[in-house]
Amino acid sequence: MKSNRKRSVRFRRRSISLLVLALLVVVPVISQEWLVPADRQGRLSTFAFNDSIEKAGLQLYNLNCLSCHGNPGKGNYQQLIPPPGDPATEKIQRNRDGEIFFKIMEGRGQMPSFKNTLSSGDIWAIVAYIRSFNSGYVQTVMPEITSGAYPGALIAITLRLAAEKESVIMKVSAIRDNTSVPVVGAGVKLFVKRTFGLLPLDEEKITDDNGMATFGIPPDLRGDTTGNIRVSARFTDEEKFGTAAKDTVLQAGLKVIPVSLVKDRAMWNTLRKAPWWILLSYGLGVILVWGFIIVVMLKLRDIFIIGEFTEKENKREA
Amino acid sequence: MGGKKNKNKAENTDIQQTLEASRRDFLKKAGISGAAVLSGAAAVLAGYRHEKSKNKGEFVKVLTTDNKLVKIAAEEVEGYEPGLKELQKRGREGIPGKKWVMIIDLSKCRNARKCIEACQSAHHLRPYEYHINTLVMQESVNTPAYFMPKPCQHCDNPPCVSVCPVDATFKRQDGVVLIDNERCIGCRFCIAACPYSARMFHWEEPVNAQADKDKEYDIELNVPQKKGTISKCLFSSDRLRENQLPYCVSACPNGVYYFGDENEDAVTNGTTKETVKLSELLKQNGGYRLMPELGTQPRVYYLPPKNRIFDFDQDKPREEDLII
Amino acid sequence: MNAETKIPGLETEKIDRIASDILRPVRINKVFIIWTAFLFIALAVCLYVYTIQLRKGLIITGIRDFTSWGMYIANFVFFVATSLVGMLISCVLGLIGFKWITPLSRIAEIIAVAFAAIAGLVIISDMGRPDRLPYVFLHARVQSPILWDVTVVTTYFVLSLLLWFFPLIPDIAVAKTRLKGRPAFLIRIYEILSFKWVHHAEQYKILRQAVKILILLIIPTALAIHTVTSWLFAVNPRAGWDSTIFGPYFVSGAFVSGTSALIIAMYFFRTNYRLKDYITDFHFERLARLLFLVSAVYLYFNLNEYLVPAYKMKKFDAVHIHELFTGDYALLFWVTQTMGLILPLILLLFKRIRRPLPMLIIALFMFAAAWLKRYIIVVPPQGHPYLPIQYVPEEWMVYRPTLMESAITLASFLLVLIIITLLSKFFPVIPIVETAHEEKENEIK
Repeated sequence: MKSNRKRSVRFRRRSISLLVLALLVVVPVISQEWLVPADRQGRLSTFAFNDSIEKAGLQLYNLNCLSCHGNPGKGNYQQLIPPPGDPATEKIQRNRDGEIFFKIMEGRGQMPSFKNTLSSGDIWAIVAYIRSFNSGYVQTVMPEITSGAYPGALIAITLRLAAEKESVIMKVSAIRDNTSVPVVGAGVKLFVKRTFGLLPLDEEKITDDNGMATFGIPPDLRGDTTGNIRVSARFTDEEKFGTAAKDTVLQAGLKVIPVSLVKDRAMWNTLRKAPWWILLSYGLGVILVWGFIIVVMLKLRDIFIIGEFTEKENKREA
Repeated sequence: MGGKKNKNKAENTDIQQTLEASRRDFLKKAGISGAAVLSGAAAVLAGYRHEKSKNKGEFVKVLTTDNKLVKIAAEEVEGYEPGLKELQKRGREGIPGKKWVMIIDLSKCRNARKCIEACQSAHHLRPYEYHINTLVMQESVNTPAYFMPKPCQHCDNPPCVSVCPVDATFKRQDGVVLIDNERCIGCRFCIAACPYSARMFHWEEPVNAQADKDKEYDIELNVPQKKGTISKCLFSSDRLRENQLPYCVSACPNGVYYFGDENEDAVTNGTTKETVKLSELLKQNGGYRLMPELGTQPRVYYLPPKNRIFDFDQDKPREEDLII
Repeated sequence: MNAETKIPGLETEKIDRIASDILRPVRINKVFIIWTAFLFIALAVCLYVYTIQLRKGLIITGIRDFTSWGMYIANFVFFVATSLVGMLISCVLGLIGFKWITPLSRIAEIIAVAFAAIAGLVIISDMGRPDRLPYVFLHARVQSPILWDVTVVTTYFVLSLLLWFFPLIPDIAVAKTRLKGRPAFLIRIYEILSFKWVHHAEQYKILRQAVKILILLIIPTALAIHTVTSWLFAVNPRAGWDSTIFGPYFVSGAFVSGTSALIIAMYFFRTNYRLKDYITDFHFERLARLLFLVSAVYLYFNLNEYLVPAYKMKKFDAVHIHELFTGDYALLFWVTQTMGLILPLILLLFKRIRRPLPMLIIALFMFAAAWLKRYIIVVPPQGHPYLPIQYVPEEWMVYRPTLMESAITLASFLLVLIIITLLSKFFPVIPIVETAHEEKENEIK
């Protein structure tokens, strides 16, 4: 019995590895299968889809998806390799909600990831819109928000810099009735705010029993002129823990004194910042040559005066 | 004979004296007119200084809700439309503390040409007038062909700016090379000097000239475009001023472009909005710049076209498509 | 003693004879009126074409984003080049001490003045916004070779005009009493321009000083105008222009086009103004030798300019060399090089060729070739930039000059002819007093 199970396990393992091998060969060529990790497949929307959500989804779809996938049901998607496919077809509709959500969120190959451009609410709205083309679809709404673990509590995130400045320590707690309970097992992320987006600092962490997580700071992280960086902490799973976020300033970066790119004298700079030698040689050259030209022109005056003088003399003599 | 010589000599000294006298007279006159010129110049300089000090930030008077008249900086008023003077001033100065940088990932470009369309619609250009163009490149027979988007490289040693006779094209403190089409005389020396063929000229009336006629000229958008002047990629300076990514960068459907601030060592992908470390991105992908041997020091970096996830030949345009 | 002042050391009869020969063409006759009328009508037509360009923009030309400098710029370079002859004849040869240049120096100066003056206008025709010309001075950037070029071309024009005018003053004084039957305005102009010249020894001294300063200023300025013009190209990182010998290469080429222009003008004045006694076969002989010398130097620079890159065949140099030697520009290149340089060099070795009429024909060929050579230098390097030309209309790929831009270019030649006509028609083209002095010296010998 035991050995049988072992064998079957081995067999299954082998078949899986064969399958993986086959996929490795096949995926780059035809790229048919797109497997979503098992723990993400069952993800569900926290709200029920309705007309207004589908309408919002339509707009988001037109902005982000239409250019490749075309209008659902029309089959007018772009002829790419692999083909993006029509979302109304059975091939896409047979995905579970969580699978569609995951694929939009993460992207693969030519399909871009939307996790930085769309909120999870937005993505669910797009799922709602796609599902509106499936008459047989019945939605299952996520039964209960897990943050019920801390019902009615205020989620507080604190950030502080470790003594050696090599890490940021995050503490997440739930506060209710003046009592503070650590939030345990929550996925958290820390970002540095940059001009056009959020730069992740270290990887995603799970809060420990004390509700703490530690993020390493790379030694070459650049801050402003005083070394300050603006950081932002968030939950990975916002459906679970809500959108609580913490924005603060930490003196965790290198001091960066911005240098103007036009401060030096150069051939390409403005007249005021022209190299000295060129200002001097041009200026002196012009003054010298034109000085002589004026001297020569003044000689015409001398010629005229002599002529006038001589004429007068001649007249007097005559 | 001797008498004549003497007479000549006497005459010559007379002439010398006359010349001397007239010279003194001339110098006196020259001195007076010189002084006049100098005082005139001083007056002009003083006037210029006054104008300049007046120009230091515009102020407006506003009525507060509690009926107080206060003077505040014009830029702080909501809905404030800067005038030409202000647009020119801030456009020439650039954004302090920034060093813009663009990364183009050649492994992702499949010539969708969405960047070009977005650029042309923002800057009011015809389909064949380019601030940015995508080229089909192949270095040699045995090396692979690839698509290369080519905006202005915004060089730190820009040959085009060096040769401009009137300071119409210039580099700003944040690295952007702009063109002032209120100043450009249309000599096209910059076109001759640019090794990247990044500049264009308005040979005829620009496409939206009639509609844009009454618009205030924004040097950071180069709209309205003007006949007989140069136009070029501006790194979408008008968008950067609002902390938004350039038109081409946000329009790309394939995640080709990253854009950011070198001082922050971070760039953001225009498609996925993912922000990554600039130094790491370049290091891990073998980033390079175009024609480094020319010493132009571009602010645009390229990532080599390796591990492409699409079939180049299928996307490759036919030879005749390259010519409109 | 009346207005007729005696010139020290010269017999009045000699002056009378030479002055009457040289002043003979100084009159308004039917041929002159027809010729100038033709020039001005043709000019009006060409200027009308220019107004079209002002209205519609440079779209009426063949230049586009890639080849953005075309016929106008090639023509500009040619004009600057040709104007250099003034410096070569009056200054270089004059300083060395050649006496035979006396009857030629003024013709050379007229050519210099005319071509330098119009070079400035040619560059305006190439500007997209000619109305903004004052910006070149108001917002000048001293780092731009264009500012240097504007500065030196203006300076050279003023210097050439002065060098034409100063030695003319004694002649004007001689001529002003010998202009019977000429229009009153001309006599009035002569009276003003004579600056009360009385042939006083002191006046001659001042004149000699002024001319000496001018000659010393003109040599570096003339070298500068063409060197700077060559830098308009050489400062650009572009295969075909990126050359360190462009300065001397341009200057030596300029001497070729300038000398051939001078030979053409000499021939014309000699026959039309009946000056065979003053511009003789001997002068053509001398100029033939000069032309051989400058052409040989130019050939030497050509060898350097083309053979060195052709030996290495670096990536983009190779494209350029192929274009010229065997590609689109091959016919133009080889015709220009053989008909305009190599063949004339061989022919000039023969004594029979070094006579007026054959020299005229050779000079015409070399003059035309000099213009085409500027075209070959300016246009082809822009046709193959470092990055490929793609996704543009087909007519953007290769530059073809249009009829309209040819007409505007023609206008510049008409203007040069107008200036030369007026200067040579209203003022003596050969120095009267200097010629008389020279004759006397020869007699003494």
